[in-house]
Amino acid sequence: MPKASHFDLSGKKAMVVGVESPAAAAIARAYGEAGADVALCTLEADESVVAARRLAKEIERLGRRAAVYTMDVKLGRNVQVTTRQVAKELGGLDIVCSAADRFLAKPITKITDTELATVLRLNFSSHFFVVRSALGEMQKGGVGGRIVVLTQVLGERGLPNTSAYSAAHGATYNLVRAVAQEVAHEGISINGIALGWMEWHADRIAPDDEQAQRATRFPIMKRMGTADEVGPLAVYLSGTGVGYVTGQIFPVDGGLLQHL
Amino acid sequence: MLETLELDGKTVIVTGGGRGLGRAMAKALAEAGAHVVVAARTPDQLDQTVKEIADAGGEAYSVRTDVTDPEQVNALVEAAVQHYGRLDAMFANAGGGGGTNAEFWEYPDWAFEEVLATNLKSAFYSGRAAAKQFVAQGTGGVIVNTSSGTALRGNRNFAYPTAKGGVISLTKSEATMLWGHGIRANVIVPGFVSQAPPRDERDAEFRKQRGQFIPVRRLGEWWELGPLAVFLASDASRYITGAEFIIDGGGLAGGLGPVGFEPHHEW
Repeated sequence: MPKASHFDLSGKKAMVVGVESPAAAAIARAYGEAGADVALCTLEADESVVAARRLAKEIERLGRRAAVYTMDVKLGRNVQVTTRQVAKELGGLDIVCSAADRFLAKPITKITDTELATVLRLNFSSHFFVVRSALGEMQKGGVGGRIVVLTQVLGERGLPNTSAYSAAHGATYNLVRAVAQEVAHEGISINGIALGWMEWHADRIAPDDEQAQRATRFPIMKRMGTADEVGPLAVYLSGTGVGYVTGQIFPVDGGLLQHL
Repeated sequence: MLETLELDGKTVIVTGGGRGLGRAMAKALAEAGAHVVVAARTPDQLDQTVKEIADAGGEAYSVRTDVTDPEQVNALVEAAVQHYGRLDAMFANAGGGGGTNAEFWEYPDWAFEEVLATNLKSAFYSGRAAAKQFVAQGTGGVIVNTSSGTALRGNRNFAYPTAKGGVISLTKSEATMLWGHGIRANVIVPGFVSQAPPRDERDAEFRKQRGQFIPVRRLGEWWELGPLAVFLASDASRYITGAEFIIDGGGLAGGLGPVGFEPHHEW
């Protein structure tokens, strides 16, 4: 029987990047419920900051500390500066969840150089920058750490019109595996959560696209996932029960990858 | 480079060679110069495969074999060696359906045993008998197993994919255990592949419809296993072992939605 204490994040300092994503917001909330202080990073300084502040209030009502930052994940230097600031203001950094995500779907012959660069920057490089900066802070602490990267099952399967996006997530899969090898001996574990078709995926599961609606019946569970279904796995992967779990990508996809 | 594909003077066993993919592989291997020992349960079908190979100028010999019986599999290898003097490759291809449609919680022992015997134990018996001969010859050799794309995904008809999943694991272990003896082991993983030309117009139309669910928009055809079989039996693949060769028209690389699902989302 697993001890519930392995899911207890009391006193831990967590940073969640890309809280615009419902999954990331759910993870931040779950971290708070599990006892962690949480830094919420939006990708843009727009209306998402307002939503993040609301979430911060929610987490504070649980008795934790919460603060909102805007992190420009397009540049490594910006990520580093904000991460340092977060670690300084929270008093350390034990847990980092990297969740930036930007979908593009068009035929490869129509994808411009600029679009490719942007897709790679937001869906792959952002994770690279966040992981790199997180490791910098965690290594200073010298007491290990937990990193969770939010990716997509498209990282291991193809779909028409998603060449750039799927490739970026494929790169993210292997980022997790490679970094795990690099830092395992430091007590830092890094794992991925791969999302299948989720309720907020109107960008890819268009409501008026009949084929897209059929795709939502492809998971074994015959439905799309909800944000609340992502949080618990992130808490597990950020707790003390995963000292021997690293370099793995866990799907939260209702069995989509197992469909024939 | 192309000379590495030649199988002249090599002896190859193909189990399940009486029809379908096994027959297609047997014919391609014979065309590449191999002496082919065709094994299956049904004499008429064996005769037909041997005849088709002979008609094309190839060399083949048949041994009636039930691959679920280890004694018969051992005898098959002995017969091949007696007839052609040596063994160079074993295609453990026999397999098939069986089982029942019972609900999982009521699935009978006999049905599960039957499917495992036909699809997994048979591959073990074939690989073991061949490896014994390869080691005795001191020549190395090749094992090629046939799995199924269903092995890589869940399926209502669970016994068959379970057995075929075992075949993939078996292959990797064979590769690991036997490389020191110069024996390579690889596994072919076919997706939806037709076993023979369509029987009639209706059959052709049915296949055309089924094909719409596959990225290349058609079913695979029996003969398309031939070139892969030749490649894996030959020195062209001499640094390849423990590998899965999926031949499925792109299905397993996708499968996140129906074929034809092409999202559009521009900025």
